[in-house]
Amino acid sequence: MNAAEKPLSLSPAPLIDVEELEVRYGTRAALRGLSFTVKAGEVVGLLGPNGAGKTTTFSVLATLRKPDAGRVTVAGLSVADAPKQVRRMLGVVPQSLALYPTFSARENVVLFARLAGLRGRAVHVAATAALQLVGLEDRADDRVGSFSGGMQHRLNLACGILHAPRVVLLDEPTVGVDPQSRERIGEAVRDQARRGAAVLYSTHDLDEAERVCDRVVLIDEGHVVSDGTPEELIRRSGGVLRLEVVTRAPLPVGWFEGVDGVVPIHAAAVAPLLSRGPTVHVGLTDLSSASRVLERATACGGGVLEFHVHQPSLQDVFMALTGRALRD
Amino acid sequence: MSSLLTLIGKDLRLLGRDRAALVFILLAPLIVICVAGLSLANLYGADPTGQTAYDLPLFDEDGSRLSQEIRERLAQEPAVRLRDVGSRAEAQELVRDKQAGSALIIPRGTAAALTAGAGAKIILFNDPVKYLERINLRTRILELRDAISTEQGAAVRQGAAAERAKAEEKIAAFKAVVVNQRAKLEAAWSEARRIRAAVLEAARRDAVQARGEATRVIKNEWQQHSARVQKDVQSQVEQLRQEFRAYVEALATARQGFEAWLEDLKTRAGSHASDIPPPPSFPELPVSLKQIVDGSRAPVELRLPEVELALPTPRMPDLPALPDLPEIELPEIVLPPLPPAPSSLEIEVVSLAGVPTYINTFDQNVPGFAVTFLMLGMLLGISLGLLDEREWGTMQRVRALPVGPSQFLLAKLLTRFLVGVGQMIVLLTIGWLAFGVSLGPQPVALLLPIVGIAYAGTAFGLIVAAVATSREAVFSVGSVVMVTMSAVGGCWWPIDLEPRWMRSVALAFPTTWAMDAFNDLMIRRRTIDAAYLPTAVMLAYGSLYLLIGLMIFRRRAEG
Repeated sequence: MNAAEKPLSLSPAPLIDVEELEVRYGTRAALRGLSFTVKAGEVVGLLGPNGAGKTTTFSVLATLRKPDAGRVTVAGLSVADAPKQVRRMLGVVPQSLALYPTFSARENVVLFARLAGLRGRAVHVAATAALQLVGLEDRADDRVGSFSGGMQHRLNLACGILHAPRVVLLDEPTVGVDPQSRERIGEAVRDQARRGAAVLYSTHDLDEAERVCDRVVLIDEGHVVSDGTPEELIRRSGGVLRLEVVTRAPLPVGWFEGVDGVVPIHAAAVAPLLSRGPTVHVGLTDLSSASRVLERATACGGGVLEFHVHQPSLQDVFMALTGRALRD
Repeated sequence: MSSLLTLIGKDLRLLGRDRAALVFILLAPLIVICVAGLSLANLYGADPTGQTAYDLPLFDEDGSRLSQEIRERLAQEPAVRLRDVGSRAEAQELVRDKQAGSALIIPRGTAAALTAGAGAKIILFNDPVKYLERINLRTRILELRDAISTEQGAAVRQGAAAERAKAEEKIAAFKAVVVNQRAKLEAAWSEARRIRAAVLEAARRDAVQARGEATRVIKNEWQQHSARVQKDVQSQVEQLRQEFRAYVEALATARQGFEAWLEDLKTRAGSHASDIPPPPSFPELPVSLKQIVDGSRAPVELRLPEVELALPTPRMPDLPALPDLPEIELPEIVLPPLPPAPSSLEIEVVSLAGVPTYINTFDQNVPGFAVTFLMLGMLLGISLGLLDEREWGTMQRVRALPVGPSQFLLAKLLTRFLVGVGQMIVLLTIGWLAFGVSLGPQPVALLLPIVGIAYAGTAFGLIVAAVATSREAVFSVGSVVMVTMSAVGGCWWPIDLEPRWMRSVALAFPTTWAMDAFNDLMIRRRTIDAAYLPTAVMLAYGSLYLLIGLMIFRRRAEG
């Protein structure tokens, strides 16, 4: 049994413990009292808009940056005081690809296995297992530069987790990844949690976060705005149905006023799914209100081209909490 | 350590996969070395292959032995490709048409003028644009002229010395003849003296003999006459002696009778006997008379006087005396000193290193451009390597691994250092094999400056990597620094071409010290001692660069 296959003992204490973390870039505060934990066997999603402090948080956890204030421990070890020991427990999958494009997939995983501290036969066992885990065993000897983006991201993940680390840090590992690869990556992440690793997962894909993460930490402007399971967050934010309407012509201001069951939401913060025409979003207290809204839109001369009804999501939760969209 | 080796292996593999980098490290320097070496060959003398020799049209109007010699010598000159032309006009035309930078004319009567002791000149038509070619060719021709003059002078001196030797031989032979004749004369003179002496001796001997014979005859006559006289005297004396004897005997008898008588008397006187007076005593016969009586003594000793002949000295023949042999004094023949042979002031260029005066162009260019590309590889390679790692995201990932950023950076630097050392060794070896570059008396000593410049280059590469955060910045900073360091440091041309102030500035660059060490070891053929100081300076510079680079890196990492 290699290191990747060995289950970790589940510890009640969190493997990642961030308390009142503060990081400043000059005079600008990137993190202001950020606090959260990740336990063994848990996948925690770190969600927030650009500039919220996700990458800075990952940098501190990965020992690439020292905190200005606060306490950050990994498996009980302070990242500031014992960075080398912390690094031995980390598996980092950075936001962008971190691979040698002129090397083959096998050469990459073997290299990172050695650099992670594996030696001898364990290197090749772990490398083979990692390649199998991300479904690249058939392309093991091909140059990474010839891989598709999805394959490269899968390999990127494999290189970060092949040594079965106790803590896995994934910084948006599925950006630009095809659905098939995204699915594989999601499965691989869940596998890490199943073997007992604490996984901190940053993503912009809210569906993915809801699907992969056990718990979500929403951050904005360097601090946590909410923390819990996706269901808890949605429930806690009192989320409503969202109606997305695409029209031929722009609708006038206040076009839905007086329609029963309609709740205004921050429509500008929601990116349109399609761009066939002007798009508006309104909140609905119940599904039956949708027909009334569509009738009003038609009456106002918009010419409805299409509409979608969305269940309340983390996007809505974040918008409800901050008034801004996660993708801002 | 294992992780460090893994990282070094990774960097070496990355380099191995990067064909452009490999070309840059090995092929590009070789191409530049070839181009620069052949292009600048005439700056140093000539390239060993003769590829860069100047075309030199030659028209020999003189047709003399001297002009032929000039032609043959130029033909052997590797820096010159001689081209015989049919006329002065043709030679001029080739220069005008830019087919040649210079053309040489040996005018009619050159050799004759020189032989007559008059001045002569050869003409070098020249294209003023081709300044360096003119300088080089003129220098070669001047050297050739000096060589010919020197050889001719030596030949003249040699001929004169031979003639002088012959004259001295003749003088010596003449002196030998004189000495021989004198010896013969002295022998004849000596014989004459001997004969004269013999003649005189014979005459003296004859005279003595004749005188002796006369003396003998006279003495003989005298003796015979004396004998006869003596015989007569003795006969007469004997007769007298007989008579005297008889008397004596008669006297003795008378005496005896007297005595008897006396006795008788006395007897008879009885008591009166005592009154008888004693008779007178008879005188005793003297002894001499007794001897005469008894015959034991000749009564007469006839003593004839010895005849002392005082014969007159015979007259010797009056031979004239031989005069002394006159002394023959040969005058000292002193040959006048040889007149000075016609010669020119010669410049003897002595290479203190004991190597040829004209170096192989590649002796300068191989180490020079090897150092240039080493620096280029270091300055750009480390920066671009780090930028690649940054762009690939691998730097961030490796920094989050147990190996940490320090080992990552150390491996990068060590890899570049090792590659740099290997690059230098390969380029110098190729230079040695392909271009005949000298590796000096101790090729192993070259490792010192190689290590020194690789270390300094690596460390400076760290500074560039720390300062330049984009490819554009790397290329601009790296190329400016590399060009400055290499050019001013004497990698592209001999540093002596630079002004004095620039040479002083160059001491601040490790490339200067590297080239100094390489030139000492390779061209001046010095031993390893010559590389100690430059290597120490390069290591010091490298350490300083390393310190600065790490400080900048740390500051950037903290920022």
